[in-house]
Amino acid sequence: MSHPPILTVSGAKHAFVTRQVLRGVDLSVSAGEIYALLGPNGAGKTTLLRAICGRLRLKEGEVRLAGQDPWSVPAARAGLGLVPQDLALYPHMTVRENLQTFARLSLVKGPEIEATITRAMALTRTADRAHVPVKHLSGGYQRRVNIAAAILHEPKVLILDEPTVGVDVDAREAVDNVIRGLRDIGVAVLLTTHDLEQADGLADRVGFMREGRMMLEGSPRDLITHAFGEDMEILVHLVQEPDTGGEIRLAAEGLNKSSGNLWVKLDPGGYAAAGKLDTRLRKLGLTPREIRVRQPSLQNLFTLIADRKVAI
Amino acid sequence: MVMMSLAMFRVMLLELWRDRAAMAMSFLLPPLVFLIFSSVFSGTTGEDVKLKVAIADDANTPASARLVAAVLASPDLRAYAAKGDDAEGVRRAVRTGKADAGLVIRADPAAAGHPLLIISDPSRAVAAPLTQARVQQVLGKLLPDVMLKRTLDQIEPALGEFTAEQKVNAADSESVTAEDAKAGRPTPDGNMFDREDIQGAQKGGGTIAYYAGAVTILFAMFSAMQGALSLMDERRSGISDRLLAGVAGMGPVVFGKFIFLASQCMAQAAAIFITADLVYGTPVFSHFAAWAATTIFASVCASGLALGIVSLCRTRDQAQMISTFLILILAAVGGSMVPRFLMPPLLQQIGLLTPHAWVIEAYQSVLWRDAGYNSVYLSWAVLGGAGLTGLAIAWLTARYIRR
Repeated sequence: MSHPPILTVSGAKHAFVTRQVLRGVDLSVSAGEIYALLGPNGAGKTTLLRAICGRLRLKEGEVRLAGQDPWSVPAARAGLGLVPQDLALYPHMTVRENLQTFARLSLVKGPEIEATITRAMALTRTADRAHVPVKHLSGGYQRRVNIAAAILHEPKVLILDEPTVGVDVDAREAVDNVIRGLRDIGVAVLLTTHDLEQADGLADRVGFMREGRMMLEGSPRDLITHAFGEDMEILVHLVQEPDTGGEIRLAAEGLNKSSGNLWVKLDPGGYAAAGKLDTRLRKLGLTPREIRVRQPSLQNLFTLIADRKVAI
Repeated sequence: MVMMSLAMFRVMLLELWRDRAAMAMSFLLPPLVFLIFSSVFSGTTGEDVKLKVAIADDANTPASARLVAAVLASPDLRAYAAKGDDAEGVRRAVRTGKADAGLVIRADPAAAGHPLLIISDPSRAVAAPLTQARVQQVLGKLLPDVMLKRTLDQIEPALGEFTAEQKVNAADSESVTAEDAKAGRPTPDGNMFDREDIQGAQKGGGTIAYYAGAVTILFAMFSAMQGALSLMDERRSGISDRLLAGVAGMGPVVFGKFIFLASQCMAQAAAIFITADLVYGTPVFSHFAAWAATTIFASVCASGLALGIVSLCRTRDQAQMISTFLILILAAVGGSMVPRFLMPPLLQQIGLLTPHAWVIEAYQSVLWRDAGYNSVYLSWAVLGGAGLTGLAIAWLTARYIRR
């Protein structure tokens, strides 16, 4: 991190009646950084975001946005942009009309509105659809306009709640590029996602939350290296699903069933180990259609955390 | 085929059973509306209508005092002594809508001609004949001697002066008639009424003003509720979350909606009253300032209440159900469907809790009865207060909403 944190959360604790949803969370995001907040449903991510947005007063701990508390100092929220999970736009209005509306509601001054809209559309690559009603846009464009509406007032911190939920791979890539572009101009980005592949490829740092706690935090590569060392992930795609005897033999080879006839293992031997495994499986009458070798991903780490196999 | 149909029947049944809003709309609203209408229309036969009648005694004779006392005590009327106890006080009470009709005792009830004057508002067409009938009942039952004296006084000039013996007999007859009345035996009566419509009255125009007001507030509430539902769409889509994370918050959104909805209500009212003016000659333009002020207060009320009510709901479905429920019930109780003076007294009192009653009353006062600003200040205050309270609720609630 080259910049000091612009958003910090320290010792955040919160409970709804008797249900403790945050149990002492620390988090910081710097300018020009993308931080992905991960975790299963009920982990406390939404409550944490609400506290950061000044919508909720923590029972304990504090949130600081450029040094100010967004709950007690509403002006602090001027530096914050929120991209909600759903399409927070007026679908019957065009892209430009939506942006004009949200610019006014974001207190952008009248003479600056057009320049601000042009800038936001350029950053989100939506200018070519400026006069199309939002409801007629593709899912990917809608998602980008959703982001454009949140950056009109040039926030220092942008929060994205599941920004690509329900969109296809191409649209997700387009949204990811927009987020990278915002990072590159110095915006601190905090996003929540269930898409671990997206977090892996996009985030400078990730935080795993579970049961109101930050279980693990760091750069994706560092976390993966820390958890898996030199291990590589070997994926075996069998020609046909094995019978019970076959499953026992696969398990004996250290392979775990992923889905259907896809079996997975971690092995420091990498490609050499994969070659040997191919030979042994064929001898056992378990013909692989394909064997792939790749670096372990956040998905593997997430599975380990979920299974509580990683020491925190 | 039967089993498949039954399966679908079960789906529909469970859907209804588990949807409290639909259950309420299906089984609670209809009987409630029925109760309101049945209680209104069962009163319109004339038997149960209890009109509010202002009385003044200009005659000040023993018989007129007896009549006043009897009318005030009549269980079939809600009679009261008019302010000032004179004809002008009665006219004012009718013009301002405080009384459904008025009774002025101009001369001794036993006197010849039309000693009793009924003052009425033609927009309440049945009020005058009903009042007359009630007073006549009172005279026949409780003051038959006065009626007989009046008859004898009318006969005497035609036949020549009664002899002393005839005069004694007549006096005896009056006593007997009075005793018959006390004992509940039949007694003679006679027509002694004159009628007067309040000034400015134009046949049928009052009814038009009434219905123009009734339809205006009915549609104002309907369209304001529909418009206010967009608050729910903004919660659901996350627009509220987006704005609440900013500096401005939801305040400008709520206020912007309020201004729009109020403007929409005003435009609707203008369309209705311009039509009334063109087709029926309802005097909108000659009373423009008072009409415009009433329209503004009615629109503020409808818009503010709609936003306040919707903001207190948790879901769009809930808001939709409650708004439909309220639009119908408030319109029925408030007099948008049936004039309130035909309703039972309790329902009339309850009607004062609705904006409809105040809006209708205000429009009638300014456009029909020409009652002046003093008669509508209270209506304006109630409407404005209700609307601003609703707006304040919406404003405050918007700050704390959760999806």
